[in-house]
Amino acid sequence: MKVSTWFILSLGAVYLLGFLVLCSALFRLQYEDTSEFKADLALQNTRRIRVPGLRGRILDRNGAILAECRPSHCIQCNVEEFQRRGSATNTVAAVEEAVDRLASELKLARPASLTHARIERHVKLSSAMPLMLWEDVSDETFARFAEHSDEYPGFDVSTRPERIYPCGRLAAHILGYTGRSRPDDADSAHFFEHDMRGREGVERYYNRFLTGVAGERRVRVDARGFRPTKQREAMMEDDMDADVAPSAGLDLQLTIDKDVQAVLEAQLDGLTGAGVVLDPRDGAIIAMASAPTFDPNDCVPRLTREVYATLTNAPAKRLQNRAISESYAPGSTFKPITALAALANGWLPDDEYSCQGVYTLGNLRLHCWDRWGHGPITLRTAIEKSCNTFFCNIGTAIGTNAVISAARAFGLGSVTGVDLGGETPGVVPDNEWKFTNFNERWYPGDTCQMSIGQGMLLVTPLQMAVVAAALANGGKIFTPYLFARTEGQPPPKPVRSVPFASEYITLVRDGMRDVAEQGTGRRIRTRWEEAETGSFKKRRFNLNVTCAGKTGTAELGRGSTKRKNTWVIAFAPFEKPTVAMAMIVERGESGGSTVAPRVHAVLAHMFGETEVAAARPHGGMLERGD
Amino acid sequence: MKEFLSKLRRMDWILSACMMALIVMGVVFINSAGSVRPTDALRSLWRVHASTALFGLAVYMAFAVLDYRKLLDLGALPVFALSCAMLVLVLVVGTDRFGGRRWLWFFQPSEIAKLAVILFAAHVFAAPGRNDFRSFLAGAAILGGPAVLVLAEPDLGTALVLVPSVLAILLAARVWLKGLVTLLAVGLLAAGLVLWAVDRAEREPDPDARAKIYRFVPLREHQIKRLRVFLFPESDRTGDGYTLRQAQIAVGSGGIWGKGLKKGSQKLLGYLPSTVSMNDFIFAVLAEESGFMGVLLMLALFMGILGPGLRIAIRCPDDRGRLVVIGILTLIFCHLYVNVAMSLGLVPITGLPLPFISAGRTFLIVLMAALGIVQSVAIHHAELPDDDRDVEQPT
Repeated sequence: MKVSTWFILSLGAVYLLGFLVLCSALFRLQYEDTSEFKADLALQNTRRIRVPGLRGRILDRNGAILAECRPSHCIQCNVEEFQRRGSATNTVAAVEEAVDRLASELKLARPASLTHARIERHVKLSSAMPLMLWEDVSDETFARFAEHSDEYPGFDVSTRPERIYPCGRLAAHILGYTGRSRPDDADSAHFFEHDMRGREGVERYYNRFLTGVAGERRVRVDARGFRPTKQREAMMEDDMDADVAPSAGLDLQLTIDKDVQAVLEAQLDGLTGAGVVLDPRDGAIIAMASAPTFDPNDCVPRLTREVYATLTNAPAKRLQNRAISESYAPGSTFKPITALAALANGWLPDDEYSCQGVYTLGNLRLHCWDRWGHGPITLRTAIEKSCNTFFCNIGTAIGTNAVISAARAFGLGSVTGVDLGGETPGVVPDNEWKFTNFNERWYPGDTCQMSIGQGMLLVTPLQMAVVAAALANGGKIFTPYLFARTEGQPPPKPVRSVPFASEYITLVRDGMRDVAEQGTGRRIRTRWEEAETGSFKKRRFNLNVTCAGKTGTAELGRGSTKRKNTWVIAFAPFEKPTVAMAMIVERGESGGSTVAPRVHAVLAHMFGETEVAAARPHGGMLERGD
Repeated sequence: MKEFLSKLRRMDWILSACMMALIVMGVVFINSAGSVRPTDALRSLWRVHASTALFGLAVYMAFAVLDYRKLLDLGALPVFALSCAMLVLVLVVGTDRFGGRRWLWFFQPSEIAKLAVILFAAHVFAAPGRNDFRSFLAGAAILGGPAVLVLAEPDLGTALVLVPSVLAILLAARVWLKGLVTLLAVGLLAAGLVLWAVDRAEREPDPDARAKIYRFVPLREHQIKRLRVFLFPESDRTGDGYTLRQAQIAVGSGGIWGKGLKKGSQKLLGYLPSTVSMNDFIFAVLAEESGFMGVLLMLALFMGILGPGLRIAIRCPDDRGRLVVIGILTLIFCHLYVNVAMSLGLVPITGLPLPFISAGRTFLIVLMAALGIVQSVAIHHAELPDDDRDVEQPT
C-alpha cells in the first residue's frame, strides 16, 4: 500500500495542532482579553449625553423668589423612527415630510431654523439625539399634540426647565439673566442637553453655584449612529454603564430686601441714575438699582439680537448697571473726605475761613453756590452749608497728595470687590494719571476742583455707598456683597479702616447730621406734602430716626450741554447706623431738591415717618444749595 | 434490503451525528444573524438552510450506499471535466454577486469543483507507480486548471483551500515525495520571507526605502494591502480592517458564556456588517452569542467529524479510499481553520464559508455528498476482496 497509516496519523496530529492554535487564540480573546473587547464595544456603541442639573433659585433675604425655573414643553422628533434604507437623504426626506404633516395638524409653522440643511446635519451627526422642533409650546398646542400623539409615532414631548423671573424688572441688574450654554471643551460627552448659563449679574457671577453638577445619560447607537429601535434594544442584554444622575444646583440667597429694592426702583422710575442701600455694619447690599432698567424675562431663554439692540441702545443703555459700571463726578458728596483729610493734616475744628462767594487761585475763579458768600465759617458749618470756597481753600492748604490718599483710603479709584462682574474702578487722578491721559501736568486748580468733588475725579454710586457706610460705622471699609451669609458663618471683617482719628470722624458725622437736619439735605429727613387745595400751608413729615447725609450737584459741560448730576449720600439712624446709601440722578436739578426726597422715601420705608407740626411755611429758598 | 441495512450498520454514526449537530447549529445561527435583515426572504434563510440539509441528507445517504470505487471508476473523470466546463461557463454566463462572478443559475460551480478535483486527484494517484516527477506535473495540472479558473472568478479562498487538500493527497500518495517536500519547504520559506519583507517595509518610515523593499516582493498592490491589513489591522479601519476589527470585538466581547442567542449587540447594531454575518463571518455571530463554550462545542463537533474520518481512512485497506478521505477531511479542516482564524485575525481575510454552518446551498450539499463518500468508504472497504480485511475489522 502506498498510503501509510503513519501519514494519516500525522495528518491527524496536524489537525489537532490547528485546533490547539484556534483554541488558545480564542481563549485569549474570549477569556483573557474579553474585558478589553467589551470596553471597545461600549466605546463604539454608546454615546454619552451631558444632562445638566436643575438650576438653583435666587431668593431675597427673606426667602422671596427672585428667579426660578418653570417647566417648558417641547415637541421633538426621534429621527431613528424615520430611518430609511439607502443614503441619509432618504431619512432626511422622511423626517421632513413627517414634520410638515405634524405642523399642519398642530396648526404651527415649521420653525424657521429647521431648514433642510439643519435636519440633514442632525441626521448625519447627532442622530442619537432627538431633533428639537418646537420649543416652549403653548398649553393649547401641547393638548392638541397629546390628543393626536398616537397618529404621529416618532414624535414626543419633552419637558425641560426654563428660567423665569417672577418679579419682572425687580432687581434686574443684580440678577442678570441666563443664556444657552455652549459645550465646554473639557467635557468629554458626545452630546449636550440644553443648559443655561448665567450671562450677567449674580446669574453669571454665581453660575457654578447655581448650575449644579451635570450628569450623564447613555444611549446606545448602531453602526449608522442611530438609536436602535425599542424592539432591538429589548433584544440586547443591558451591558451599558448606568446613567449618572445630575445633581441640582443650590439656591442662592441674596442680601437684597425685595421691598426696599422695589421702593428704591420706584424712586428712580423714569429717571436715569442709580442707588445703593448698604448695611454699614457688614457691607451687605440691601438694595441696588439702576435706571432705566429692563425685564430679564425678555432675555431668556436666549437674548435675541433685536432685544439686545434695544437694551443696549444709547443713551438709555438699559442693560448697564449704573450702580457699579458707570462713574460720575461725586460733587459735594466728596467734601466729607476732604474735610477728614484736612483735619488729619492740621486744620483745627475751630479754624475759620471767610467765604466771599468766590475763590481765586491764580487766574482761576471758582464761585461758591451762594454768590453772596457764607462769611466766616468753621468746618462743621462748611459741611452743613456745602461751602465750595471753604473746601477749595483747605484742599489747597493741605495739598494734592493728602486729598488723593484720603480718597483712596475710602476705596475710591479701585473696585469695591462686590460679587458682581463689570465693576469699574473710577478715577482718583494724580499727576502721573493726568500726564498719561491728558499729557498735562497737575495744576493747583486741579487740587481745588478735586477738593469739591469735581474735575477728573470719578466714582461709582456703589463706591459712594461704601464711603457713606464708612462714615456711618466710624471708618470701617467693608467689601459690599450680595450673597447672604448662612447662619453660623462668622460676620465679614472690614477690609481696612480709614486712617482718621475717631474725633475727626465724629465731627464730620455731626456736620452731615446738620446737613440732613437743617442744611442742604433737609429733605432727606423731612417731607412736605400739599395739605389741601388752595391752602398755603403744607403738611410736614419727619423720619422716625435721626439721619445724616450730604448732597451733591456735579456740573458737567458748558453752555447748552450744561447738565447736573445730582447726588445724595446718607445714613441712618445717626447714633447706630443700620443703613447707608448713595443715590444719583442724572440731569437733576440739585442734590437737595431732586435726590434728597427720593432718599427720604427709601428711608421712610425702612424706618417710618411721623407728621410733625409745620414750623414754618415751605419757601422756595429752602431747596437751594447743594 | 438486507444489504442496505447492513450498510447502514457499517456507517459511522458519530460522524453522522456530529454533522447533523453542526447543521442544526448552522440553522440556529443563520436564524439569529438573519433576524436583523430587512426583508422576509433574508430573514427566513434559515429555512432554506434546513430544507437544503434535508435534501443534502438524501444525497449523503445516496453517496454512502453507493460503492465509492464504482463512483470513482465511472464518475471521477467526467465530473472533473464537467466541473471544469462549468467553471469556464460561469466566467461567460455567470451572475455577478458580491464582487465576483461565482454563480451559475442557482449554484456555485467552484464549490462542486472542490470535490471534483479531490475525487479526481485521489482516483489518479491511487494507481500504482504514479509517484515520479511526471506524475507530480500531472497533479499540478489537475489542480492548476480549476485553480486558475476559480481565481479568475475571483475566488481566492476556494483556490487556497484546494491547494492544501491536493497537497495532502500528493504527499499521502508519495508522489515525487522528496521533490514535493523540498518544494513545500521552499514555498513556506518564500511565504515567510514575503511576509517578513512586507512587515519590514511597513515599519519603514522612509517611503523611498519602503519602495526599495517592495521592488523585491513579487506581489501586486492590492495583495500587499491585504497583507498590510493582516499585519497591521489598525491601519485600515474602514474596509477589511473594519470588518476584522468588528469581528474581533464580537468574538472577544462574547466572553465565556456569550451574550445569549439573538442577543449579540455587534450583530444587532450592525457593526458586524449584516451582509457577511450569515456567510463568511457567521463564526463571529456564533462566538459573540454563545461565547467560548459555544465555540468549544463547535470545535468538538468538527473533531467528531475529522476523528472518525481519519479512523475510516486508517481502516480502509484501499489506497483510493484513503486518499479520498484524506482529501475531503483536509478540505473541511482547511475551511474551518481559515474561516475561524480569519475572524480572529490570525490569517488574512479571504471569503471562505464555515462548513455546515454558513448559509450556502451548493457548499452544504457538496459537503454532505463528500461526507457521504467518506461513509461509503467506511461501508464498502469491508467488501474488498482483500486478505487482511478481517484483521482490520472491528471486533
